[in-house]
Amino acid sequence: MSARVLATYNIKGGVGKTSAAVNLAYLAARDGHATLIWDLDPQGASTYLFRIRPRLKGGARELVALRSRVGELIKGTDHERLDLLPADFSLRHLDLDLDAFKRPALRLAKVIEPMRADYDYIFLDCAPSISLVSESVFEAADALLVPIIPAALSSRTFEQLEELAGRDVNGQGGRVGFRVLAFFSMVEVGRPMHRSVMARMREAHHVTMLGAGIPDSEDVEQMGEERDPVGAFAPASPAAMAYEALWLDIKRRLGTARRS
Amino acid sequence: MTPEPIELIASQPATLDSIDRALDGTFTAERLDSSESDHVLLDTFDRLVRGEGWTLAHEHGRLALSDRRMISAVAAGPPCEAPAGPMFGRDLPAGELGNRVARAIELRALLPLGRLHVRTESYRILDDLQKTVVRVNVLVPELVSCGGSATPLSTRLRIQVVRGYGEERDEVIAALSPALGLAGADQPLPDEAILASGERPEGVSTKVAVPLDADQPSVLAVSRVLRALLDVIDANLAGTLADTDSEFLHDYRVSIRRTRAVQRQFKHVFDPDELRVARGEFKWLQQSTSDARDLDVYVLGFDAMRDLIPRETRPDLAPLLTALRRRRTVAHGAMGRALRSDRARETMSRWREMLDVLDDGPDSDRPYGRRPIGGYSSRRIRKVYRRMLEMGGAIRVGGDESPPQEFHELRKKGKELRYLLELFGQPTADASVVKPMIKTLKSLQDVLGHHQDREVQIDMLRSLADEVAVLPGGPRALMAMGVLTAQLEKDAAKTRRKFSQVFEEFAGKDQRKLVKDTFA
Repeated sequence: MSARVLATYNIKGGVGKTSAAVNLAYLAARDGHATLIWDLDPQGASTYLFRIRPRLKGGARELVALRSRVGELIKGTDHERLDLLPADFSLRHLDLDLDAFKRPALRLAKVIEPMRADYDYIFLDCAPSISLVSESVFEAADALLVPIIPAALSSRTFEQLEELAGRDVNGQGGRVGFRVLAFFSMVEVGRPMHRSVMARMREAHHVTMLGAGIPDSEDVEQMGEERDPVGAFAPASPAAMAYEALWLDIKRRLGTARRS
Repeated sequence: MTPEPIELIASQPATLDSIDRALDGTFTAERLDSSESDHVLLDTFDRLVRGEGWTLAHEHGRLALSDRRMISAVAAGPPCEAPAGPMFGRDLPAGELGNRVARAIELRALLPLGRLHVRTESYRILDDLQKTVVRVNVLVPELVSCGGSATPLSTRLRIQVVRGYGEERDEVIAALSPALGLAGADQPLPDEAILASGERPEGVSTKVAVPLDADQPSVLAVSRVLRALLDVIDANLAGTLADTDSEFLHDYRVSIRRTRAVQRQFKHVFDPDELRVARGEFKWLQQSTSDARDLDVYVLGFDAMRDLIPRETRPDLAPLLTALRRRRTVAHGAMGRALRSDRARETMSRWREMLDVLDDGPDSDRPYGRRPIGGYSSRRIRKVYRRMLEMGGAIRVGGDESPPQEFHELRKKGKELRYLLELFGQPTADASVVKPMIKTLKSLQDVLGHHQDREVQIDMLRSLADEVAVLPGGPRALMAMGVLTAQLEKDAAKTRRKFSQVFEEFAGKDQRKLVKDTFA
């Protein structure tokens, strides 16, 4: 077993990253895959959603220095095969902690390496930013799952990421390892603006834009109350169905093409 | 990644109320679901599946292989009916479960050992964040008899920690222990069920290992060993008569042969007149089962024997198999009549009485009985070994070859030595010495056994010629049997040539010194 690492990422906050990470990880585990979510956001939203205490023994610094026994920090969620590496407030200094190393961008990949053998999927739930942490996430991930709110400025964010994914890393046409897979999030289908942005972006980015969109729904908001993935407490809801469709699409797109 | 659940026995009822009360607000219990399941436990008479560390059961409409505690699944088969009777390797479904179990049981039959009915109540234990930290399954098992009556077994709690919550699990166990009267489960559930059904969880094996003390009076040591052998004889009788699988008869005969070897080697501990009668009767028991066993071996080994001749003529041997099966049926009938007879019953009952007398301790009439078993058995081992050296040394291979009977006699003596080493070697010699000795002896015995098999097969083919000739396809079968006989003779000759080499090792200077030093 060598886990596929998927990071839910966006420069912007409040776009549905954590909801996507939590729900997709839940679906991966439900499908029978050993799955881990690493909550990299100091706010600890996914940690909270799984009712786990935000506590990282030794803090982020020890973790990225590889001095913590990462296996002992992982907590089982209430769902079979789904574990979580919790966040705590020490992650707010993660940029500084990474910067203490010679090649900081490779650091998160090093932390993940020993866990790859234990899981089929590792989801990184990232804090909104473009920083050293983001760089390190890009190095570690096989794919970025990017939630996009179908608004006018969103396409700009997405294009920046695509540029990053396609950049020449060694001056000889080599590309960074991750793929960008974007999906629409918090979609209000009744809004003409959303519909037109979606149509335009799907046409322009049909290779990387996933088909399924996550609706802006009360069920997703309800996760904060239920402290569970939508699929667990409202499996027949439109939001749960949308995450199912998204997960199917992600698996299909990832196919057998893996990071070497 | 997930550790195995901890299994505990509860002496008090484990319900949502009792669990919740015991947790006293530090944690709360929530009932998840309840289920009922039936499990027909299956294993061979000598528990070969259990010996692999597994439990095999028919449950939820399929065969399932799990660990000994019935906690972790190893493999599952496709949907199938519960076996109504003995089930052999060839009857198992194709796939991982079938392959694993068939390899483990070889020739033996899987027997239904008992039916378990289990009610499982599942709970989760939550911390103050309402997060699940521990899962608890309460198993309330019963052993259900054929008539449908149920015998309650111990209530078991299987406590599964959620990863990262080990401390909470320990706290939960500490809270539940006094209230529910928890104790470690020292016996897996299937073992408890089999014991409750009146059977031995470990089954019956021919491997008799009676711990002996070198200074123990030989009469008592001999009696203990013979009684253990008698248990095996008794235990295998029903399966032998029912022809459940071929190994019942095999194990029955091995124990009779071992008994006879002990009778012969330690004759001075017995009353000579009584022993003479007993030896005669045990010889009769052995002879009464010989044909049935030989024919079992022929039928079981038919395919391998048939493969000695060219492929195109192999189908011609079909009438031979028909004749063998007919003879086998007749031989088993005759054996059944003998073993069910008054004579057989009286033999065993007199034998039991003789062992009771031995149990009373040394008798002034039989001073040998007082001698420590260590010295007595060592002398016997040395003597039988020396006798084998003489017999083997006199065997000629090549030009003026010894008759097959001499190889056979040496093999019989070799079995006696093996039984002595296995049953009585331990008080004098360490297992690290005895085991390699038995290994060297086994190499010799394998060659002699293979040779004997071939000789007997040749005799069998000759004796069956008339019978096969009148069957449909008989003439072609006779021609194929001629080719087979020639192959068997060639193979027997080849085996005889191997004899010198293995005997040399057995009779070598090192081995002689080892026997002399160990059994001084």
